[in-house]
Amino acid sequence: MVNLEELKKEASQILKEGKVKYIIGFQRSSNGLLPVPAFIKDPEDADKLVWDPACVYNLTLFLRDEKRKKEKEKEPDERPVGIIVKGCDSRAINVLLQEEFIKREDVYVLGISCENTGVLDEKKLAKKLKGKKAKRVEFGAKDDFVITTEDGQVKIAAQEVLAERCLECKAHFPVIYDVLIGEKTKRNVENPFKSLEKTESLPPEERWKFWKEQIEKCIRCYACRSVCPMCYCDECVADTINFVVTPENFVYHFVRAIHLAGRCIDCGECERVCPLDIPVRFLNKKLEKEAKELFDYEAGFDPEKPSLVSSFKDEDPEDFIR
Amino acid sequence: MAEEFEPKIVAFLCKWCSSAGSDLAGVSRMEYPSNVIPITVMCSGSVSPLYIFSAFNKGADGVLVSGCHPGDCHYIKGNFYARRRIALVKKLLEYVGLEPERFQMSWVSAAEGVKYTQVIKDFVKELKPLGPQKKLRRTQ
Amino acid sequence: MEKVLLKKAFPQWVKKLESYTIYSPQKDGDLWNYEVIKNSEAIDLDYLNTVLSPKKIIFPQREVLLEFSTSNEEELKVKEVLPEEMPAVIFGVRPCDAKALTLTDKVFGGDFKDPYYWKRRNSTALVGLTCNAPPSSNCFCLSVDGSPYSKEGLDILMTDLGDKYYAESFTKKGDELLNSAKALFKTPTAKDKKDLEKIKAESKKKVKRQIKDTAKIPPKLKDMFDSPFWDEESLSCIRCGICTYLCPTCHCFDMNDEVTSSSPIQGERVRTWDNCQFPDFTMHSSGHNPRPDKASRLRQRILHKFQYFVELYKNYQCTGCGRCISKCPVGIDIIEVLEKARDYGR
Repeated sequence: MVNLEELKKEASQILKEGKVKYIIGFQRSSNGLLPVPAFIKDPEDADKLVWDPACVYNLTLFLRDEKRKKEKEKEPDERPVGIIVKGCDSRAINVLLQEEFIKREDVYVLGISCENTGVLDEKKLAKKLKGKKAKRVEFGAKDDFVITTEDGQVKIAAQEVLAERCLECKAHFPVIYDVLIGEKTKRNVENPFKSLEKTESLPPEERWKFWKEQIEKCIRCYACRSVCPMCYCDECVADTINFVVTPENFVYHFVRAIHLAGRCIDCGECERVCPLDIPVRFLNKKLEKEAKELFDYEAGFDPEKPSLVSSFKDEDPEDFIR
Repeated sequence: MAEEFEPKIVAFLCKWCSSAGSDLAGVSRMEYPSNVIPITVMCSGSVSPLYIFSAFNKGADGVLVSGCHPGDCHYIKGNFYARRRIALVKKLLEYVGLEPERFQMSWVSAAEGVKYTQVIKDFVKELKPLGPQKKLRRTQ
Repeated sequence: MEKVLLKKAFPQWVKKLESYTIYSPQKDGDLWNYEVIKNSEAIDLDYLNTVLSPKKIIFPQREVLLEFSTSNEEELKVKEVLPEEMPAVIFGVRPCDAKALTLTDKVFGGDFKDPYYWKRRNSTALVGLTCNAPPSSNCFCLSVDGSPYSKEGLDILMTDLGDKYYAESFTKKGDELLNSAKALFKTPTAKDKKDLEKIKAESKKKVKRQIKDTAKIPPKLKDMFDSPFWDEESLSCIRCGICTYLCPTCHCFDMNDEVTSSSPIQGERVRTWDNCQFPDFTMHSSGHNPRPDKASRLRQRILHKFQYFVELYKNYQCTGCGRCISKCPVGIDIIEVLEKARDYGR
């Protein structure tokens, strides 16, 4: 079990010692189930930190803001930023290191293991609770979640409400950390690309119909891009403001998917934040699968390795080339 | 009399090999279908996915990316990167349901005028039965 | 005019309105959005609220304003492209969304009436639905001079009485719609009227969230332009654009010329929604950006809604629908921000 007190103690300690500028973590929201980002500067405020199955955000996206802020300052504070990450989030840090967007000394990583479970999917939970509103979720003792509603507490097996990506997780505990809280449990994931099977198995015309319907809904709010830690470009090349109507929406989504090939670590945030429930995650997941199958490449495990599209092997497939 | 459908192919040809190859085909007076709109790029590795999707968006029925053979790239490694990138674009387009025959890649060297004409002839032959590309085309 | 309509007769009324384009909320997965319904049987008012408000029907996300082209004479021809006169009825409009349209009316009306907006607005009838229970746990209409049964902006307000709808008509357009199916509507009985009053009274009690002392906020905000308050509140904002695009009162737009052919020149002048939370919203062509950071953009959003609009039009530019709170990716809560602003410095 992850010991929250251990996390709070560690956070408070490094703030007291001045080791970090501030810590990015999770705090209780005044309204709503999901904890919200906290930017903690005072050692006493470390008590605000929380850790529960609703900590779904990928906080590494705030490293981008930190970098921008630092660039504007005349005498920037060179101390690292403390950041609380899950396994998937830590892979994002590796990608940012690999691309030299940040340096290792810029972050102090407080890694938390998801152990045998992961984080929940709010929509799955809402369906399970059949209309009752969940006020709080905690980790249970036996790979289940303890949910507090207005009627009391109920236990649900984690597998039934886990986020889709947790069921295909490749990093159950952070792969890069300065401090690790929780145990390095090994989970067996049979098929890391299972969620793609449904769309992949459709005949091409059906697949097209599915994607057309979904992407037509897009209102170009760019939340999927804003929440992605890897989309850190100051000016996005796919950002042409007039192309609202299909098929132009495709250009934005496809270009983004290709630009994330070999960089997306499947934190699932893009899909969670979409106000119109467009399954954008599948586009990235498909390319993740191709990166593995065609080029044996997995993002976010080794910051020293060259990235997918800036490297090549002599054995790269070329059967499709005339 | 109904007009036969003539597919429009946008071809991104690398300047040092494929574009030169197409020039050789022209200078040697070889006959091949006139459905191609050639765009010379410095290297096949410089072809961004944005160009490809943009071409389909503006109404291309087929898109071809053509570069130097592996090992012969004027910039040493550009075509190797292209090989990876284009593979990913091809897989993505296939996944969303676009006919895979619409997007092709080829290695054509500056001396391969004949190969260039053959690539184009084959491409046009494959595109004709598919009809005009409506899926990614701009409708407004 | 006040009438009652049995629920099972509702699709028949809709069928009588065949000459209109009918919009109603349609389910799409777990969400609802306004769609044109072709089959009157598909109408169903058992829903919460849509993701995008009916504003998108009156003020679409992309619309063509002008078409221009040169021909062989090289003379530039410009043609105004006004929307077609298409009478429409939107069913299932929540009172907050209808009130929001009265606020955008002020912006697109006034000294200069935007012809594109008004062509659609004048030919569209809005049939509202009382919120017997708040559609969202984040509704706060009562705190911004609204109510679950407000009639502002509506032609007809329908209230669900269980097996029938109570329909109150406030305008000529509304009367016309009710008269189109006279046989289906009955005069309300005394019991119907009592039920209606009961539901309305209960609906107010059920609205859970509120801002206390909203009236204190505009004058307080006036003094907070340079406050560091905005830096703290905007720390977790990711500058996406969801709050603004989903807001029923937001109305900023951008105009661009899209040229589709350069010889002869052919193109369109297009108006699209714009978003003050996008970093480039205030970017000048010189490269200077007066709102370069999240703090200034959050401040703009809050001040525009709760100070500038109040000073100009004596209304909050917010109707308490709660969409921005429910859909914000990082949980920024406008009620919390406003209450903190109201108490800041105490």
